[in-house]
Amino acid sequence: MGGVYWIENTPPLNPMKEILLMTHVMLGVLSILASLWVFVDALNASEGNLERIRLLSRFVPMVMTAGFLVAGYWYVNLYPADKAIILKGPWPFAHDFFMETKEHLVLMLLLLAAYLPIVASANLALNHDARRLTLWVSALIVLMGLLMEGEGGVISMGVRMGLLTH
Amino acid sequence: MENSRLSNNATAFGISLVVASIANALLVAAKEKSPKVLAFMKGLTGHHWITHCTFIILLFLVLGWLLSRANGGEGIRMSSGSLNITVVAGVTLSALIIVGFYLIVG
Repeated sequence: MGGVYWIENTPPLNPMKEILLMTHVMLGVLSILASLWVFVDALNASEGNLERIRLLSRFVPMVMTAGFLVAGYWYVNLYPADKAIILKGPWPFAHDFFMETKEHLVLMLLLLAAYLPIVASANLALNHDARRLTLWVSALIVLMGLLMEGEGGVISMGVRMGLLTH
Repeated sequence: MENSRLSNNATAFGISLVVASIANALLVAAKEKSPKVLAFMKGLTGHHWITHCTFIILLFLVLGWLLSRANGGEGIRMSSGSLNITVVAGVTLSALIIVGFYLIVG
């Protein structure tokens, strides 16, 4: 028996698919870590770390956008095969709830990431209002990012459960 | 001491973020409940999700730009406290609408 797929009429194993999948996960983790760094730096904002906050706040949407595009390509072109496996398996909720919510919540994450540098461009050491908003936005990015990672884990497990039960 | 007022763009795009987030949630419900809406969105770009994302991202960018130029270029006057609450509440509410929709209706 060749490959990993045991269900009839499924495509052969495609390494690029897994590489793309893991790339979007890694980019997501990178953006979460960068946003967490912005949060901690903003909490301790001073003249000494303002430039780093600004740089990181621009890095977050860049990485998030790259991850979003990679994930979007994967979702549109490569996910249908996994979806079929999930829906035939014992964890259909991995798609029906977790993927369906993830594909729409991630948009809000992208918008939050795009908003972060706009808010963080102020002098956070002196502008307490901008600092407070920066803290909230970066915290939301971290929390939503972790939620996306968790949902992705359940979706991947849904594929595994579907494969193991055939 | 720097003026603590938020920048024109921070206010404008903050409001735009909230509007786009809520629109995102409502569009999810609309396309899931209406086959015609779903088919229309599929027809525009070939995939409903691409159309959905394109619309929401454009809404965020265009609305933010327009709001930043409101009132003769002075932008929207809104207290930072109100904006902060609006952004957090708006994003949270939108997320809850999406999750709630798929939990209860989907």
